[in-house]
Amino acid sequence: MIGPSIEIKGTVTGDEDLIIQGKVEGSIELGAHEVTVGESGKVSADITARTVRIDGEVAGDVRGNEKVVISKSGNVRGNIIAPRMTLEDGAIFKGSIDMDPGDGAAKVSLAPSASTSPSDAAPELDLKRG
Amino acid sequence: MSERQSSQLLPSLFDSLDEDQRITVLHLGPLLPETIGFFSGLRCRLHVNDLFAELPLSFKPGDELSVQQRISELLTFPDETRFDVCLFWDLLNYLDQEGVVALMESLRPFLAPTAMAHAFGVHNPRAPERDSRFGIVSRSEIAMRSREQKIAGYAPHSQAKLKEWLDGFEVKRSVLLAESRLELLLQTRA
Repeated sequence: MIGPSIEIKGTVTGDEDLIIQGKVEGSIELGAHEVTVGESGKVSADITARTVRIDGEVAGDVRGNEKVVISKSGNVRGNIIAPRMTLEDGAIFKGSIDMDPGDGAAKVSLAPSASTSPSDAAPELDLKRG
Repeated sequence: MSERQSSQLLPSLFDSLDEDQRITVLHLGPLLPETIGFFSGLRCRLHVNDLFAELPLSFKPGDELSVQQRISELLTFPDETRFDVCLFWDLLNYLDQEGVVALMESLRPFLAPTAMAHAFGVHNPRAPERDSRFGIVSRSEIAMRSREQKIAGYAPHSQAKLKEWLDGFEVKRSVLLAESRLELLLQTRA
């Protein structure tokens, strides 16, 4: 764990899970492990890990080989690449997210559905058709 | 508070897209869990830029930057970016003419030739404010959650004015909703 009073500038690597409550500038590479940026954590670095959970602040690109989670207290500015991502309501995010559910995962169908029930919609009147 | 509403126009955003195609989406609002859940099922790149957090985007005497300069600085994308789908939600109700025109000028170079967009406007400019954040639950259902903080600058425009200012898009369809709100489907101007 990187405690709240610790500041690190450089590359962080290792062979165990990591919790960051302090400040890190540079890069974090723990491809086979889990990185958690705690609520007091401030990271200005690119992060690569198996799973990345963000409860604090991150400015940088995030790659989660399995999953990225941004909790309601999380604030992320950067680009995210992950096969799966979870974002809790209240989280702040600015950047891009690359998503690919893969062949085995449940995909969203873009095909027009046979019928769309507007039964729970507000009253509607089509004003214009182009 | 969270609620859901079916949408007649949302499906049209996706009708022309190939399921095997990797799509590029622009989301100009706060990101909701439902939206992440929906796009997680697609091969896509989702660009998220919450311009509501930057409001008001109108020029005031003494401002160093023009509205065009501010919006241009806020909307920076890699040169090769081409958006297939743009989700404006109700942002246009919070921008003045200069803001809407500046938004279009900033986005135009990044629109795919067949880009589509979705927005909420009003039929009557005196329509009450819908103080919500929006997301996509499914290809025909929208999620709405209350905003935690009220946003200043609600001043919606008539559809005629929006059509004039939306240089780059044209209104393909609009649907009248409750309380004189409009759901708008936009497509790139030929």
